[in-house]
Amino acid sequence: MFSQFGATAETLSKASTMMFRIGTDAHLYDDPEDVSIAPLLDSRFDSEKCEALKRLLALIAQGYDVSNFFPQVVKNVASQSLEVKKLVYLYLLHYAEKRPNEALLSINCFQRDLGDTNPLVRAWALRTMAGIRLHVVAPIVLLAVNKCARDPSVYVRKCAANALPKLFDLRIEENISAIEEVVGKLLNDNSPGVVGAAAAAFASVCPNNFPLIGKSYKRLCEILPDVEEWGQILLISILLRYVVARHGLVRESIMSFLIKKESSHQDEEDEFTRIIEGEENTDLKDVYEAELANTICRSYIEGPDEYLSRASYINIDSLKLTSASYTSGKINEDIKILLQCTSPLLWSYNSAVVVAAASVHWIMAPMEDVRRIVKPLLFVLRSSNASRYVVLCNIQIFAKAMPSLFATNFEDFYIVSSDTYQIKALKLDILASIATESSIPFILKEFQDYIRDPDRRFAAATVGAIGLCARRLPKMADGCLDGLLSLTRHEFFSGELGSLDEEAGVLTQIIMSIWSIINRDPIRHEKVVVQLIRSLDAIKVPAARAIIIWMVGEYRSVGEKIPKMLTPVLAYLAYCFKSEALEAKLQILNTNFKVLFDARGKDHLIFRKTLAFVLDLAECDANYDIRDRARFLKKLLECNIGSCLSDTQADCLPQNKNLHCVLAEHIFGGKLKSISPEPLSNRFYLPGSLSQIVFHAAPGYEPLPKPCSLLQDDLDLISTTKGKNMPGDGVAESGTTGMDEFDASDGSSDEGSASNYSSQVTMTGSGSDVYNSESGSVSEEANDAGPLIQISDIGNVDVAPQTGNDYMGDLVSKSALESWLGEQPGSSNTSISHSNRVHRSSARISFGNIGQRVKPKIYVLLDPANGNGLKVEYSFSSEVSSVSPLLVCIEVSFKNCSAESMTEVNLVEEESSNGQDSADQIVAAPESFSTSNSNMPTLVPMEEINSLEPGDTLKRIMQVRFHHHLLPLKLALLYNGKKVPVKLRPNIGYFVKPLPLDLEAFTDNESHLRGMFEYMRGCTFNDHIEEINKDKDGDAVKDKFLLICESLVLKMLSNANLSLVSVDMPVDTKLDDATGLCLRFGCEILSKSIPCLITVTVEGKCSEPLNLTVKVNCEETVFGLNLLNRVVSFLSESPHHHP
Amino acid sequence: MLQCIFLLSDSGEVMLEKQLTGHRVDRSICAWYWDHAISQGDQLQPVIASPTHYLFQIVREGITFLACSQVEMPPLMGIEFLCRVADVLADYLGGLNEDVIKDNFVIVYELMDEMIDNGFPLTTEPNILREMIAAPNIVSKMLSVVTGNSSNMNETLPAATALCVPWRTSDPKYANNEVYVDLVEEMDAVINRDGTLVKCEIYGEVQVNSHLSGLPDLTLSFANPSILDDVRFHPCVRYRPWESHQILSFVPPDGQFRLMSYRVRKLKSIPLYLKPQLTSDAGTCRLSLLVGMRNDPGKTVDSIDVQFQLPPCISTADLSSNCGTVNILSNKTCSWSIGRIPKDKTPSLLGTLVLEPGLQRLHVFPTFRLGFRIMGIALSGLQIDKLDLKNLPHRPYKGFRSLTRAGHYEVRA
Repeated sequence: MFSQFGATAETLSKASTMMFRIGTDAHLYDDPEDVSIAPLLDSRFDSEKCEALKRLLALIAQGYDVSNFFPQVVKNVASQSLEVKKLVYLYLLHYAEKRPNEALLSINCFQRDLGDTNPLVRAWALRTMAGIRLHVVAPIVLLAVNKCARDPSVYVRKCAANALPKLFDLRIEENISAIEEVVGKLLNDNSPGVVGAAAAAFASVCPNNFPLIGKSYKRLCEILPDVEEWGQILLISILLRYVVARHGLVRESIMSFLIKKESSHQDEEDEFTRIIEGEENTDLKDVYEAELANTICRSYIEGPDEYLSRASYINIDSLKLTSASYTSGKINEDIKILLQCTSPLLWSYNSAVVVAAASVHWIMAPMEDVRRIVKPLLFVLRSSNASRYVVLCNIQIFAKAMPSLFATNFEDFYIVSSDTYQIKALKLDILASIATESSIPFILKEFQDYIRDPDRRFAAATVGAIGLCARRLPKMADGCLDGLLSLTRHEFFSGELGSLDEEAGVLTQIIMSIWSIINRDPIRHEKVVVQLIRSLDAIKVPAARAIIIWMVGEYRSVGEKIPKMLTPVLAYLAYCFKSEALEAKLQILNTNFKVLFDARGKDHLIFRKTLAFVLDLAECDANYDIRDRARFLKKLLECNIGSCLSDTQADCLPQNKNLHCVLAEHIFGGKLKSISPEPLSNRFYLPGSLSQIVFHAAPGYEPLPKPCSLLQDDLDLISTTKGKNMPGDGVAESGTTGMDEFDASDGSSDEGSASNYSSQVTMTGSGSDVYNSESGSVSEEANDAGPLIQISDIGNVDVAPQTGNDYMGDLVSKSALESWLGEQPGSSNTSISHSNRVHRSSARISFGNIGQRVKPKIYVLLDPANGNGLKVEYSFSSEVSSVSPLLVCIEVSFKNCSAESMTEVNLVEEESSNGQDSADQIVAAPESFSTSNSNMPTLVPMEEINSLEPGDTLKRIMQVRFHHHLLPLKLALLYNGKKVPVKLRPNIGYFVKPLPLDLEAFTDNESHLRGMFEYMRGCTFNDHIEEINKDKDGDAVKDKFLLICESLVLKMLSNANLSLVSVDMPVDTKLDDATGLCLRFGCEILSKSIPCLITVTVEGKCSEPLNLTVKVNCEETVFGLNLLNRVVSFLSESPHHHP
Repeated sequence: MLQCIFLLSDSGEVMLEKQLTGHRVDRSICAWYWDHAISQGDQLQPVIASPTHYLFQIVREGITFLACSQVEMPPLMGIEFLCRVADVLADYLGGLNEDVIKDNFVIVYELMDEMIDNGFPLTTEPNILREMIAAPNIVSKMLSVVTGNSSNMNETLPAATALCVPWRTSDPKYANNEVYVDLVEEMDAVINRDGTLVKCEIYGEVQVNSHLSGLPDLTLSFANPSILDDVRFHPCVRYRPWESHQILSFVPPDGQFRLMSYRVRKLKSIPLYLKPQLTSDAGTCRLSLLVGMRNDPGKTVDSIDVQFQLPPCISTADLSSNCGTVNILSNKTCSWSIGRIPKDKTPSLLGTLVLEPGLQRLHVFPTFRLGFRIMGIALSGLQIDKLDLKNLPHRPYKGFRSLTRAGHYEVRA
């Protein structure tokens, strides 16, 4: 229209958009990489950091992988600016799973933020920390959640509730009971907002822990209207499940259809039957709906898959539903409250809430009250297209099971032009199933309009719906038939337009609908068939013709007129045969044969001729299907000559009929069976569920719980001892009285059990008496059993002779002595001692010559193949740098594998052009270095190797400061005037130095580092197996435990700079069980002198892979976690990895 | 629960992805969805079972909001949440389109992060969201241009999160206390081919715009609440007083909100009539439309327009009217905008439609949608009796208005 202005208008709108975009982040989205992001992230200004983070976010939005920025981003988590924080969190949550190790670095900051005074900061920290989803931090998160669940701020508590499913998702079994406990606590919160979130947590963590609901059922019902809409949706279904499990189904509700069958035999139940039958009498068609309702209700309880699979071959009644599963909704208080509290929710703005509330009423409310869900459900239809569709899908099921419910509101299902095709089809189906004799005239009138709709698929669906109406209401069948027949006579179907695809569809549907009506009572509708046959000439659509021709064969003997018509009709068909389409041709062949089959006398000959003619034509047809069919029929025909087809032998005995005859009769002679109304969808799921919309059980779908499966006893038990359904609680409780230490990995119960354990070892023994009385004798006996303890030569114990010599001696001797006296508390665990008769005790040992066997792992820095014959390897040395505590000593060995000598070999920092200078500065100012804590990577240079002769190996000690626990340090290797970049990988195991400790000091330290400072992980250990197997051949004298200890210690000391504090040995009657072995190591973080304690406990059989639990106690959370990861990773490495 | 939300532009480009849980959803699902959407055309369902995920989708202003889940959850919850996201975004960004979402992607991310946590909705109350994250406006844009930085994150947690009325901004202060109550009604009507009115009902909303200081308590009552067939309420409405006395008692949110919606069924009179006539013969079809007043509501009816879709079998159309303008779009949608009905003549539209070759007569008929607006009257007849305010320091100004417009107002030819 305004084409001449179009250009101007466009530029104008562009200009206005440009104006509009000023000040937004448009440029960041359009071109996120036009500046380099990395330096911005390291900037001192929050605004620059923000910009960088926004650019990263833009890249994420566009689907790029920017996880390589992770370390730099994580650093910014400490920022004070909330905007930076938020952006970092957004980034972090997106990538945390990809970069778990780096993500750990943020944990310390989260922990600090959790103590912030601003609730928003606390909430964000909790959300993000839980969202990172690492197994390692799960205990920390659990503690944090526990803390936040008591937070004064509602918002924080709500976030705590939301964090629970995240924790649960990690599937750490020890945590589950603790999580459920928090869920229970939050369900009892005062604030409705928290209860809603707790309901969501309940639904995903422990949906069947009904005792938890039982405790506060009434309160939950009362608080329901105040809960936020999203919480309402889930809470409603939780309460419904609880009520069904607790009180069973309601006798007056639709679910009573279930017991109809059983009750019909029992007098006592006749009250129910009266209710149901009274309903039936008012509506003639209710029998069919009762059947459907029965199926639906069964599906609700059993799940359709289970129900259908069983119903198909055994009798349906295996679900034992007696009147005991029912209760009266009018008497039961709990049910009354639920219905009362959910009825105002039918007025909610949120369609999901309305449907959830409606489904409670549908299942639980007495049938006369179900009506109140009608108006709200219909009102929801005025909301968005998408929700309208879902609501209609639910209404469809309700309407089919209980047509009277919506019968008076049929006008609401009238179709408007803006409906999508899906919605139109659903509405048609509902209209057809709720039509009553009083409303059907209006509905049919409406349908007539729809048939003229330009959307022909919709018109076809309407015709189908008319057929459905006629079947439901036999009284209206004639009227519907007339209407449909008149449609077939419409000019637009008869002319050449029939070739239009969509019109053809409509016409075919009309014929199908007519057939479906005729089929219920063919004799009465004989005239209709005749009319259809007459219209064959006018109807050109092949599919429609095929159906009519098929009907000729099917109804060949119905009534009086049709048999008389057969001869001319078949002649006409034979005449048309050549011009027919494939499907019609096939039907002509079939029909001819069927007619012939029944024909007698003179007719028989005529039909035979017609058939022969058609068969001849068909045999030369272009289509192979038709040729095959013709051949097949011809064969059948030949064999039947003179046998069952002839008049004279019609009364011959069945056994005389030949096989072909029987076959033919089976195929073509079948009598008509009235087809029962087809159930549209046999799969029913709970209303409002996803499964109901997609027609299969979505993962996680659960039908209603078994009625009355929750007994009052269960509830009482829970409320008094709080233990039966919560095994976790049981563990925690028994832990305080006498629990095996090695089961105690549950974060919350750690404290009690572990301290008991240590108190036993040290001689203070406050709690140890309990054990001693029982296990004392046992351990004595066990001690006598064999020479399990071996005290070593003190001098040789030392692992790092240069540094550790002075303290190790005292330590070992003292601890070894103690070990004689100590008993293992685990042995006194009552359950074990009673059931297995396995008694354990422990003793502590130390080792001899292990120091010599410790071989630090060697890493390759430069391969001779890449380095022109220069081979550089390095290993972390246990030496402690004399220059600064921040430096780590590394032993580098250079080997010349080439044939020529090399000169000026050195390792320098990659960035500094002149490594010598920068190193000088550092050496000159070690104090400033250590105090200023500068971030610059540094390297105390080694002495340059002037020349390296072929075959020579030279070792140098290098001192390096890694500025990051996990990231490799980039160095440059100089030799022969060349420069090769190399990467030095840090090993966190050498960022510590051995800490001289005795056992008492160890346990004392440990007791200060509980809770958040304690981290645990499990792994398996295999190294010892080889040793043990080796041992079998040689001297069998060597003790297996010792072997295990040795290999464990060796592994630990070869990979980390630790000192062995003590070894606890189980003294066991069963010599093959290593459970109870416990090793303690002490170390100190190099840079900060913070102690770091490692405890390794063993579980399992000596000759099999052992399950280790590694525990690290360290004040520096991130460091501790990283160290733990490292220890676990090298412990579970197979021994063959060693070079 | 929801695992991921994607925002797709009208060309199928993924503009934004927000992963919600640890189980990440690859964005290749969007490509699958787009192919599926194209192959399904108008048969696309709002809930789709894709090979890997269940998808919920809504389309607003050409933007597709796509959410994925792998487990059972109430589908309406997913859909309603997406609608809420779309509402909030439209409110923040002043409309929805591809550009505005890309330009403000940071705000979109921040909002979504507040709105949903681990796949479960967290804060969807617009008032709280507004306090947490400032909406972009001219001032903040200018500020960011001038100073180069601006934060739209509020440093403190909105106090409303702790209140029992989470929808209300904490302690707003106004110099002029005012409250406006509007009745906005939409009339749905269907007139069938015979010209009889088969269905006529009103879907109305009580929209309140409140600028009141402190924590006021309002009571609204109707003169004739019995005509209401069914109602739905904003969460702020207390259920009890309505159940017993049909009185709306509530503490209002701040600003504009929808207090209640209602339905009045089985109305008998419609304000406008539309008489379509179609006669077809020999490959052409004559169309005439007449529009006029049937029952004068007593107020001026304006913004009258007629929309209809020509059947696919029509090849060309030539339409002209005696007033207003007629437009035919390339997808055969015709719109005839009349405006007000002139005093001296009856608006009529005449036209000749040429059928596709081979067709003699038209056998499918279009449906005409009539649009109109009547200011100052609620056609349902619902009347506000009074509005009482408690807990207010000054006498506030109260304003009432009503408006009726056409909803699905259809005339079949």
